[in-house]
Amino acid sequence: MKRSPIVIAGTLVGLIGVLKFHTTPVGLTVPAGSAPPAASAGRGSSAGSPAGSASTAPGSAQAGSASQQQGTERTAVGPVVDYNYGLVSVRVTISRNKIVKVGIASLNDGNNARSQFIDQQALPILEQQAMQAQSANIQGVSGASYTSAGFAQSLQAALRSLGFA
Amino acid sequence: MGTVVTIDVYPEPGATAAQLAGARQQIQQACVILHRADEIFSTWQPGSPISRLRRGDITAADAPAEVADVIAACATARDLSGGWFDPWAMPGGFDPTGYVKGWATQRALAVLAGASGVSGAMVNAAGDIASVGQLPAGQRFRVGIADPAAPRQLAEVVELTGSIATSGSYERGPHLMDPRTRRPVARVASASVTGPDLGLADALATGLAVAGTAGLEFIAAIDGYAALTIGFDGTRGATGDFPFAC
Repeated sequence: MKRSPIVIAGTLVGLIGVLKFHTTPVGLTVPAGSAPPAASAGRGSSAGSPAGSASTAPGSAQAGSASQQQGTERTAVGPVVDYNYGLVSVRVTISRNKIVKVGIASLNDGNNARSQFIDQQALPILEQQAMQAQSANIQGVSGASYTSAGFAQSLQAALRSLGFA
Repeated sequence: MGTVVTIDVYPEPGATAAQLAGARQQIQQACVILHRADEIFSTWQPGSPISRLRRGDITAADAPAEVADVIAACATARDLSGGWFDPWAMPGGFDPTGYVKGWATQRALAVLAGASGVSGAMVNAAGDIASVGQLPAGQRFRVGIADPAAPRQLAEVVELTGSIATSGSYERGPHLMDPRTRRPVARVASASVTGPDLGLADALATGLAVAGTAGLEFIAAIDGYAALTIGFDGTRGATGDFPFAC
């Protein structure tokens, strides 16, 4: 896959950069704590399974769909991505230039327990990154984390559809 | 490693447009560094230099210079960890993944350090964090540690100077290998290590998760590094200088 440049947008609080990674692109912005970060860039690399690389399901290669307005919040659902162990689609909500919510829109893994585990467990850290503005005046969360290739790819596409990448 | 990396740069209140533009350029450079690290060290890309090295197709001398650097650093980390971190004892041969994520993140941070008009910067590789400087108002960065028993909650908060890495099996199941038995094991639910270099902190956290509380001793002996373990029953263990936030 091709490498893509990062895209940077200026905001009132500073800068936000979203990086598309060449294998399984992901952009994730970190919301501000009490002192807003000036810039955010994301990069995803995939792993998910030993077999590795993800492929976008035919017909779903375009960016995500179903943008909706809700106040200043906008939500998009990424395409369903086939990543060897199953099909996953990610939903992301942004407010201004911050991710405020990340979740799985759909997961069809043929009851593969491992992929289910991976994708469900990928969420907490990402959610915490998204919600850290509301939590305890912190600028980051440290934890053991794992993001599947399909998750990353769908998230990236969802962000792209919101103009993030 | 599956990873989402975020980069935060905190400008001084009076930062000029030129300084902000400079920060953007540095973020781009940081991203290039992350790209390159992944290209070289992705163990699941069969054509990557590290995969070719693992198969014996090439030697370290044939690989990009970063490979020799990482091999040397892994050897140091193995020694400092008393052998609990050992990339040479992984299934499928030498696997520096436990060091490389932190190493690449630290390298990305390095291009952000010392930026004009910036009070501090943080690079967070999905839970392993390298930082430099502080918040614009002069406070230290504060970082939560995910609760292994309830990963949507925080177990502790630390005042960060430098880096913090956390290892545990709660996010992706058993993957930590005991170098002595070559079987998967984790003796604590979560192991966090703070210190000046995220590559070493990452490797030490991996070794500490395998070693369990007995490993706190080897961390305590390393100048500048501190550690926290959280047991499966929630019991905390820590070196004396672990930077808990008040």
